[in-house]
This record gives sequence, structure tokens and C-alpha cells, in this order.
Amino acid sequence: MLTRRTFFKSSSLGIGSAALASLLAGDAQASTGLPSLPNFPAKAKRVIYLFQHGAPSQLDLFDYKPDLQKLRGAELPDSVRKGQRLTGMTAYQAKFPTAPSLFQFAQHGKSGMWLSELLPHTAKMADDICVIRSMQTEAINHDPAVTFFQTGFQIAGRPSIGAWISYGLGSIGQDLPAFVVMVSQGSGGTQALAERQWGSGFLPTKFQGVKFRSGADPVLFLSDPEGYSGTARRRFLDDLAKMNELKLQDYQDPEIATRISQYEMAYKMQSSVPELADLSKEPESTFAMYGPDSRKPGSYAANCILARRLAERGVRFIQLFHRGWDQHNNLPKEIRGQCRETDQPSAALLQDLKQRGMLDDTLVVWGGEFGRTVYSQGVLTDDNYGRDHHPRCFSLWMAGGGIKGGVTHGETDDFSYNVVRDQVEVFDLHATILHCLGVDHTKLTFKFQGRHFRLTDVHGSVIKDILV
Amino acid sequence: MRSFTLALAFLVPAGSVFGAERPLEFNRDIRPILSDKCNRCHGPDSAAKKIPLRLDREAAAKSDLGGRRAIVEGDPAASEMIRRITAEKKAVRMPPVYSGLSLTDREIETLRTWIAQGAKWQQHWSFLPPVVPAIPPVKNPAWIRNPIDAFVAERLDREGLPPSPEASKETLLRRVSLDLTGVPATLAELDAFLNDKSPAAYERAVDRLLASPRYGERMAERWLDAARYADTNGYQFDGERVMWRWRDWVIDAFNRNERFDQFTLEQIAGDLLPNATNEQKIATGFNRNHRANTEDGIIPEEYAVEYVVDRVETTSTVFMGVTLGCARCHNHKYDPFTQKEFYQIFAYFNNVPEMGRAMKYGNSPPLVPAPTLEQQSAMQKVELHIHDTEKVLQTQAATIAESQTRWEKTLAKAEPLYWAPSAGLDVAFPFESGETVPGRIGKAASFDGTTVVEALKAGAFDIEDRFSLAAWIYSDAVPDGSIVTKMGDEPKGKGYGVHVNQGRVHVNVTNNWADDAIRLETETTLEAKRWYHIAVTYSGSRMAEGVHVYIDGKPAKVKVELDSLYRPFANAGFRFREPLRIGAGWGKDRRFHGLIDDVLVYSRVLPESEIAGLALGESLQAIAQKPAAARTAVEAAQIHSYFLENTAPAEVHAAYKRLAVLLQEKEALERTFPSVMVMDERPVRKDTFVLVRGAYNVPGEKVEPGVPAALPPLPAGAPANRLGFAKWLIEPANPLLARVTVNRFWQMYFGTGLVKTTEDFGMQGDPPSHPELLDWLATDFMGSGWDVKALQKRIVTSATYRQSSKVTPELTQRDPENRLLARGARYRLPAEMVRDQALFVAGLLVDKVGGPSVKPYQPAGLWKEINMQDGDYAPGAGEDLHRRSLYTFWKRTIAPPMMTNFDSSSREACVVRETRTNTPLQALNLMNDVSFLEAARFLGQRMLKEGGASADSRLQYGFRAVTGHLPSAAEQQILRDSLQYHLDYFSGGKGGAYLKQGVAASDPALNARELAAYSAVGSLLLNLDETVTKE
Repeated sequence: MLTRRTFFKSSSLGIGSAALASLLAGDAQASTGLPSLPNFPAKAKRVIYLFQHGAPSQLDLFDYKPDLQKLRGAELPDSVRKGQRLTGMTAYQAKFPTAPSLFQFAQHGKSGMWLSELLPHTAKMADDICVIRSMQTEAINHDPAVTFFQTGFQIAGRPSIGAWISYGLGSIGQDLPAFVVMVSQGSGGTQALAERQWGSGFLPTKFQGVKFRSGADPVLFLSDPEGYSGTARRRFLDDLAKMNELKLQDYQDPEIATRISQYEMAYKMQSSVPELADLSKEPESTFAMYGPDSRKPGSYAANCILARRLAERGVRFIQLFHRGWDQHNNLPKEIRGQCRETDQPSAALLQDLKQRGMLDDTLVVWGGEFGRTVYSQGVLTDDNYGRDHHPRCFSLWMAGGGIKGGVTHGETDDFSYNVVRDQVEVFDLHATILHCLGVDHTKLTFKFQGRHFRLTDVHGSVIKDILV
Repeated sequence: MRSFTLALAFLVPAGSVFGAERPLEFNRDIRPILSDKCNRCHGPDSAAKKIPLRLDREAAAKSDLGGRRAIVEGDPAASEMIRRITAEKKAVRMPPVYSGLSLTDREIETLRTWIAQGAKWQQHWSFLPPVVPAIPPVKNPAWIRNPIDAFVAERLDREGLPPSPEASKETLLRRVSLDLTGVPATLAELDAFLNDKSPAAYERAVDRLLASPRYGERMAERWLDAARYADTNGYQFDGERVMWRWRDWVIDAFNRNERFDQFTLEQIAGDLLPNATNEQKIATGFNRNHRANTEDGIIPEEYAVEYVVDRVETTSTVFMGVTLGCARCHNHKYDPFTQKEFYQIFAYFNNVPEMGRAMKYGNSPPLVPAPTLEQQSAMQKVELHIHDTEKVLQTQAATIAESQTRWEKTLAKAEPLYWAPSAGLDVAFPFESGETVPGRIGKAASFDGTTVVEALKAGAFDIEDRFSLAAWIYSDAVPDGSIVTKMGDEPKGKGYGVHVNQGRVHVNVTNNWADDAIRLETETTLEAKRWYHIAVTYSGSRMAEGVHVYIDGKPAKVKVELDSLYRPFANAGFRFREPLRIGAGWGKDRRFHGLIDDVLVYSRVLPESEIAGLALGESLQAIAQKPAAARTAVEAAQIHSYFLENTAPAEVHAAYKRLAVLLQEKEALERTFPSVMVMDERPVRKDTFVLVRGAYNVPGEKVEPGVPAALPPLPAGAPANRLGFAKWLIEPANPLLARVTVNRFWQMYFGTGLVKTTEDFGMQGDPPSHPELLDWLATDFMGSGWDVKALQKRIVTSATYRQSSKVTPELTQRDPENRLLARGARYRLPAEMVRDQALFVAGLLVDKVGGPSVKPYQPAGLWKEINMQDGDYAPGAGEDLHRRSLYTFWKRTIAPPMMTNFDSSSREACVVRETRTNTPLQALNLMNDVSFLEAARFLGQRMLKEGGASADSRLQYGFRAVTGHLPSAAEQQILRDSLQYHLDYFSGGKGGAYLKQGVAASDPALNARELAAYSAVGSLLLNLDETVTKE
């Protein structure tokens, strides 16, 4: 079998393997990153970002507002709303009745963190997570808001956070891409996603997220065609390498050597990816921990197990998108479903990483693109309400590598409408994620159209209070 | 044995490549440092930061600022700049720590040396008009084929590098065929070229390629990237749009070799040209190709601004090579463009009568019908038939009149007759039977608030359909309530309807009452106790301007209340099944009280003349009483139409019927015309304001359209609109358009522009590697009358282009990016070419130019996994699977995966720089994508059927088809072994499964084992580095 290593030895050109190896690095930057990084010792080696797509309601999950119960149905005071803009969906609504959460909250963990009954499993990890209740964003609609979270800009065209990190830090392992994305479908109101959310923007395309899918081809075009075995593929690649090697001798173009190595990498992925995606060898206990959905390929729970496996295999930035949080009309029913799908697996992932000693150097982030309104979209009834988009405040949590557990950061007003203490902007979150990875967010730049672009543009400050 | 030290190549600073021994030159050596490291604060935007020192202008940089001068010519020690950039103390040192910038030792030394040499300043090169440079003398004039080579050779002479020898004829023909047409040469073309020993053989081949329709397709590929062309709207919902007629216009323009200045002018302002043709209007689709947001919750004004910003950014990148977008929120940090100037250009593109929220499906106004050439000729044919038929009727006018008069005399005895057109009649309610009361015509239906007439299936129109509604109404009070509706029977329901609102005729086409509807009312008020004829037509335009209201046959003035319809009644899986209601709809409070008679529903737009006839309400008998001369035109038409339709002599009747059929055909044909979103102007210019910090809702100073002061002024007499701007762009005095354009074409051939930053010719852009060559090309291009094909020919016939792309380790180390052009270009083919070439060598590629975008193979599920529409991607069939890749349906949020894998731009925004990576995903794509496996199978089949009888000749045939040359002995041996391996591997009937890739059927006469083995070798050939590379 001809591997990259034996290719170097057998190369009739007699290229010194060290020289060729660094030559390959010319395009293998995806696995090496920038020499100037990290700027300081990293707390986290990798990130698992659990993106809750559609915007979960902070009022029903994290932002406990017991006093609102008394105001049920009362018109949202203008003094709170302050004329802030509404989406086109409720801007014409005649009434804005206050809709307190239908769900009970209780205190959990040593810190007494308030969490909703919808999150019983997450609650068990209360001392490991840091809930930020004072997130704020500029965007009010899904696509621009997700784009803002993913790229630091509402309009398409800039690199996603995973692409930035892949460009800056490269991969940890050898056989898998630095940035992997998985998408799962929830039961609730669904909005469209776009590939640009894990795109490389103006960075070279090799830094874009590679989407892993459930089914036969976890990575597009991974499987050999039917009737063509691994042995035949090996032979094919050997013949191809010989042909390309002759070309390299003749033309001496380093790109040819890179291509030879990329075919070997592809071959490695053909075995490493299915091995990774194959959960059949996971013990019973894994499935028990991640819950019943975890046996269902493509589910959020199964993706959480995969996230752990990717983390173990050296992927730098792993991002899950779970769709279905856009609950404009039947929030109580739909949010129950979404939580059933995500609560246990998210908590299990933390627990799993912890028991493997990986939580210390893995940063986990859980959250959506904005929050939801305290007033009901549509009619408020005893057991139903809806909530519109709300960018002014919302909650998310972080855990692991570099983050203090058992912390609730920031505070909103009585209506969970405005932030009153420790506002955290999306840029601050980005700066903090990079900080945990040992990267000064002002120093990770790329020159495009004459400008040194940053993920955090000209903004962002690290949320020092939540760091270990 | 040579040792490679290639790793070093990546570390050598570009400067050394460009000859460090020459005296320092401001534009080449100094400006890049000042711009990149200093001018963010000391540049055009310094005033905003209250920083007195500016380093982007000579006078300011050398002036006395309170006893200190930043730059003292010839005296580095006295120059404050040198003191500050070398200061030990952090607080004093420049650039400051917080900027994140720092100068390298080499940069500091360069600045010091430059000041010591006298600190000579130059204006920024790209803002000065190019002048024809002298063609430099070179050491080896024999090498020179055209002036391009002289500039390249002069540079190589200075570097002490020889050019590479000319590439082999085989390599050259493949290279130029790919470059000019996007596919390699056929074997027949190759043989003809090899046999043509004349010195003009190559030029002949180039001429043949330039004349091929594939040339336009190839040129269009890159233009589509620049124009961010796609088949969907982008953003979130990402519904389909129809812009392919614009794409076809581009292909055609390149194939016609339209002058590039005209090509520019028409795309920016074709609609404003005097007597603009439809094609010139279609050209302006360029600036409607941007994404458009259709999301429910958006604030339309916000996105209306984004569209204009996109136009300014795209236009400035493509035609000017400057990053104007940087001046949206503040003055440009590096280039001499103020924020105000950004909004002055913005003003040119801010006058389109468009909506911030786009149509969820289909095109958003303004748009034009854009029939294809075939459709245009089909239309001409129908119109000719109509003309002929009308002529038949005309020539027999006298006879017809005679027989009509005879017939009219028989009329009096018959029941009173009324005529209404039958063409396109969807449903009629004459109310002549059942519970009726005396009406306007015969009997009528009476409505008292409880009666409702419903017809479930009638009037099933959606917002893009055409229809007409007509009825007589009468009320004892001022008329009020619903007349004819197809909408939810509730207040603010969904659907369409004609109502009377306290006497005003009210029309609405509603998806969502608040913001997704057309609503309008007449200005005049109907009175009580009289009959009115009400008619409403709707053109399916989804705009209020497509609605016309007639009262008693006369157009009524209307007041538009809302004009923002953008979603169909049936969308996102919702089925719209309201019945057609008469006297009801819109809720119980809106029932009509009074009489309604003769309700007619048509699935077409009735012309005013026909509506006038309906509103006549006069029986034919009454008309017949009047002498012909006393009849009004409407009366005459009514009785004549009835006669022709019902009682005319057979021959006349037949002609009349034929005419009706033809008119229907014409209408049906019109409805198949694709539309194209185009630029248009509002009648009254919309005001433009500086937007503070770029925010849509914070207008500042009002501005007039205008161009930046740093560039030449507008040409005399240029109108203050887009046309004026376009004329300014193409003025020979404009220093940018020609340079930026030739540079982009150069990039197409050499992989990198002479200015590497194709998108940025400003201070932060790279200086040109061959400034004189760039200017020579630019001036030659303008001098040739912006002749694009002549420019291509200049480039591809140069000795520079014709060099071999073989390289040595020394040369790779010296010039890794081939900026010196001491060798031919060698780089991976663009995405489209990778696929098109595979289809082409397989014999599968369909030669058909233009048409709607097609859906070739794509792995299942990709759309469904992340979009929010019902369906998944549905691959096409037949030739749709094998069209050129530029016709592949481009969904912005989920781009064709093969294209993305091979570094194509995302089409989300304008991209002019080509980038290339080399990844394992590309390897997987080439090995396992069904498109490439099917192509491999057909390549295998070609080897078997066309490659002769022996394995060797077949392998040679296949190899040559793909690479353009014969395999070496060593290559031939590897192929032979591979074939044998696969013959063994597929023995025993095992080849069947492998041959099932793709739907195109192989020749059943072929032996499956052999075909499978040759297909596998075919796949090997399609995966060769050489195959996916331009050599």
C-alpha cells in the first residue's frame, strides 16, 4: 500500500522528505494554521458550538421573571418598549399582551442557578455552565442574525467563525478537516439555513466548514461507487500517484505534489470518516446518556455523540445546527419538543467530555441568534402564546475550556426586554471564544480589498468575568 | 540530483522578486507601506479623528506641524516619522500598539532610504490616465511576437532570467482551446492543427476558437461571478428568480464582440439610452442580480438601502477596481473617497422604482418581458397570421357589411340580444333564472345581507395570473359591500376581491392585510339608486399599476393605499381554496345590499374597448334601430362582433374564429416569455442622503448624484443620472475602466492579474508587476475601439502566453507565483471547466447555447436538509444533465456542491479575483461524483468504439482525448497495467454494478467487463493532475 510516507521514500525524484513535507504545507495550511498563533497559552483546544437555530425563548428557559405572572395579559408598557423596532410580523399588531412563561423555574447546583423545568438535564450540569442572560444583537431577522453570529456581519460575504479559526489555528488531527458542521431538524418552526453560515467568505475555500451528513455519504462523494471496492480504489490511487509522479518529474510544479497528497488524504478520509460516523461500537451507556434519539442517525442527539467523536479525533471547530426554535405561534407546545430533542444530548455531551477529561480543553457554546418577545405574538390564552423575534436581550450558555461554571452573567429588566447589567454583544462573544483558544481577536486578521478584516471588525471585548 | 529548497520560496518577500537594486520608487516601494501601516489614521479619514498629520498627500506629509516635519527630504535624522517609527518607548512609537500594526525592520529601512534619497513623491498610479508607453528594447528581439513580449522580456532581462521555450503544439492547442472556449480541442481539431505546418497555423486556430459560440459562454462564466448572477433571491427564503435572459444577453454580447465600452454602457444604463431596445433594457439586469430579501419580518427600507449599496460596490469593483464600499460608513481610510462621494454615486443607483422586500417567488419589479429569439420569431409568425386574417376580413368588408345589414333586419323579431366576448370567459352569472328580480339586463340577483352566491372552482387565479371581473350593481343606498370576491370570508382575509366601500370601488389582492397586498380605491363615489357597470382588470404583475378599474366602461382614477404584494395565495405548501363569492366575502359586515347583474369573470385582461361594450348595456336590437352612421364605435363593435361570432357567412365566420384562436395563441405565447429584472427610473427622482454610519434610518446631509473629485469630472453635458455616470465610466479620460478590464482578462489567462488585487487598484492594492505592460494593454484596448476579441488574440498569440509551463526548482524559488512570467501559466482549471471538459471528452456535452438554467446530478437531500421550501433538488433529465456548467441552476444558499468544491465564487456578492485551493474534497468529487463516473463510462466507451482494436491504441486514444498528447512509454505502461488490473477485477460479471452510474445508456453491444475496465481507466484519466490543470 502506498501511503504519503512511502510516496516520499519511493519518489524517483529523490526529493528530501523534509523539503517536500514543508512544500506540502504550502497548501496544507488547513492543518497547520498561522505561525503567529496562538498569541498566548490557550485554555481551550477546540470548540463545540451547539447553534440553536431559530432563536430559543430566553423567557421560557433561562431568564427567570417570577413577577411577570402578575402582569399576565397586561399591555407591555411603552416605557419598556421605548419605541424599539419590531419585525414586520407584529409591528401591525394592535395589542402587546405580556405573556409570562408557562414553565416552572427552580434553582440548581451549588450556585443556585435558575433554570426552567424544560431543561432537567442541563440543570444537572448547572455547576459546569455559565449562562449569559445579557446577550444583545443588532439583527432582527433570522438570516441576517445568524449571519451576524456566524461572521460578525449581517450581510453575506465574510468568513464564518469556524473558517477564521480554521485559518488561524488549523486542525489538531491529521485525517479530518479543521471545521466540521452538522445540521439536524427539530420539530418546531423551521427557518432556512444557508451554506454561507459555515462558508469561508473571502478566505480561501479550504477553510470552509465541511458538512457531515447522516447516511451513506457523511461527506459528499466520500463513498466509492457501487461495485468498486476499497482494494480497487487503493490500486486506482496507486496508479494515479504513479502517473502524477511522472508529471511532477517532468513539470516540477509543487502543486502536483500537493495534489498527490490530497488524494492520499481523501483516501484516509474514506476510512476515517465512516469509522467516525459509525456509532455501532459505542457502548450502551453512551446511548443511555444521550437519550433515545441518539440511535437515530441525523438527530441532534446522534450529532452530539459525533461531536464528541470529532473532538476526540482532532477537529478544531465543530458546529451543530439544530433547527426548529422559531416559535411565533404555539410556543409552549413547540418548545417542549425542541427541549426534548436537545436538553438531554447537550447535557450528555458536557458530561461525556467531562468524564473523558476533555471538558477542560473543549469550549462548548449553546445558543441561538436572538431572543423572543415578552409580549405574545397572536392571541394569549391560558395555555398558549407565541413570541416574536427579540434582539434586545437573550440568553445562551458556555462551558468548558476557560469558562467558569455555575455562573449567571448579566441581567435584564423585569420584562426581559432590555439588558440592565453587563451587556454582551455578539462581538464580545466572538472575542471571548477566540480568547479561550489563545487568540487575541484584534490580531487574527486577513487583508481583503485593501483592509485588514477581523471577525470582530473594530469591536469586541473579552468577557473577563466569566473566565476561569 | 538536485535538491529542492522550495519551502523557502514561500518566505521570500515579494519585493525581492521585483529587483531590490533599483532606486526606490514611491508608488512601488513606499506607498504600500504608508497605506497599509499608517494611513488608517493618517489618511483621508484623519480629520474625523482630529489627527493633524496626513501621509496620503505630499504637501501635508512634508509640512511643518509646529516645528516638526514628518518627512524632511534627504534628511532621515530630522524626519519626525523616522524618529517615531524607531522610538524605543511604546508611548511614542508608531504605529501605536493598540492599532495591532507594526513595521518590519525592512520597511523601516526602506522608508529611511527613501527619505535619504530625497523622498520623491508620486501620484497614485491608477488614478492617472494611462499613456501609451514606449516599447522597450530587449536583449533578444527574436523572441518578441507582439509588444506584450517586449515588456515581459525587458523585465526578464533586468532579472537576468530567460523566458521558457514555447510549449509543444499539443499543449498549446489544449491551453488556448480551454482558455477561449472552456473545453479542450477535439482529436480532429488537434490532428488538423498538428498537420498544419504553416507559421499561421496557430493564429488560424485562435481565430476559429474566437468565432466559436463557446467563446461567449467561456467569457460569460467569469462575468457571472462578477455580476453575482444566480437563479434564486438569496437571503433566507431563497426563492427562484428568472434572470437567465440577462445571462444569455452576456453570452451573445461576447459572441457579437460588442465593444467593451458599449457593453459597460448598456449594463449600467441601457434603459436610458435614446430609443432603448429591449435587449439594451435586458442588459441592465446586471445591477438587479444582487440578492433580494423576501423575509416577512424585515424592514423594507433597510434592504432597499442594501440593494443600492450592493450596486455601488459591484459597479465600483467591476468597472473601476476600487473599494468604494469602504466609504459607506465613513470617509475611505486609504483612498481619496469621502463618505459623501459614496452617497453621490449611491444616488445614481437609488432611483429604481423597487421595493425593499422582494417577491417571494419570481422576479421583483421593475422588469421587462424578455422573449428569446425563438419566441420573438414565433411571435412574429403569430402576428403575421393575425395580420393576414384581419386582412381577409377587411378585404371582404363590403360583403360582410351587406350581409350584416340583411341580418340586422331579421333581428327585431328575436328576443333581446346582448353580446359579451367569449374568449377567455372563465364563468358567467347572468342571473336569468332562479330567484331573480328585474335587473339591468333581463333579470338580476337581489342581495339583502343574507344571500350569498358561491362557485367553488371559478376564478381560481393567483397573484401572477391575469383576470378581469365585471358586474352591474344597483343599491337603494350609497353602494357598499363585496361584489365579487375570492377570499376568506372574514375581515382582512386572504385572496382578491372587488368591493364598494361607501361608494368607492375598492379592489384588493391580499396575502397579508398589513403588508403583503395591493389595495386601491376609486376617487369618485357611486351614488344610490342607479345602475353602475363595474369592471376590474388585473395583469398578474403583482403591482397596483397592473390593476385597472372601470366605471360604466370608463377608466376610473384610483388612489393606491398599499402596493407591496409579494407572496402568492398558495405558498409554502398552503393550498388556497376559497370559493368565488358574489355579494359576499371579507366577512359578514361587508355583505352587499342591492342588486347584482351579469357577473362575468375572464382569465385575461379585457381591453378598454371590450369593457366599454359590456358597459353599454344596450341590446343589439336597440343598436340595430339606429342607422349605421348614428351608432357609436362601441355600439358598432358590439353588433358587429355578435354578427361575426354567430351569424356571418361560413367563410367570414371561419376567419373570425381563426382570429380569435390566433389572439389567444398570441396571449398564450406572451405568457411564456421569461421576464428579466431591469433598472428603471422613478419619474420624480428620489432624494439621497448621506447615511450616518451607513445606517438606513439615520439620514444626514442631502446629496446630488456626482463622481469622486479624485477622478476626472463628468463629461460635458452628461445627464445627472445613470446614463451620465455610465458615460463617465467609459470616457477615455477615465483612468480605471480599461486598466481594470484588461487586468481581469489577463487574470483569465495567467491565473493572476498584472495587478494581483484584481478588485482593488487603490492604495491598498498591489502595484502592477508590469506597469508599462498594463498601460500598453489598456491604451491599445481603447485604441482598438474596445475590441475584446482583438485583446484576447493579442494575449494568446504573444510569446509570453505560448511559453512552456514547465518549471525548475530554482525558478519556483525565485518566483513562486510566476509574476515575472518567465514560464507559461500552469494552474487548476476553474470549476466549470473541470466538469465541462469531462463531459466533452466523454462525448456527452450538449451543444446548446442559452435557455433556462438546468439541474444536473446533485446528491439527494442537500436542499431539504437546510432550506425551508417543500421540495428537494429535483435533477433534470435528458440533455439537462449534460449542459455546460454555466447553465447549472444556482441556488445561492445551497450552491451546486461540485462548483463550491472547486473554488467557484458563492454568487452571494461580486467576486472578480480567481482563487484556487487543492483539497481532498476535490479528489473525492472527481473520483465519486456520478457526473464524473458517468463521463468516465462514456470515455471508456469511446476508447472501445473509436480507439482502434488493440488495448494500446485504445488507451492512447483516451489519454490523448483528455490531455491532448500521447502518453509516454512509462505512462502507457501504467495505463496498460491498470487496464489489466480492472479487467481481472471486473471478471466474472462483476462490472455490472460499476456501470450503473448515471442515466445515459451505454452501447448494449459492448462487453460489460471490458466496458467497466475501460471506464475505470477513464476515471483514472479524468483524475490526473494534468487533466484538471491548464498546462
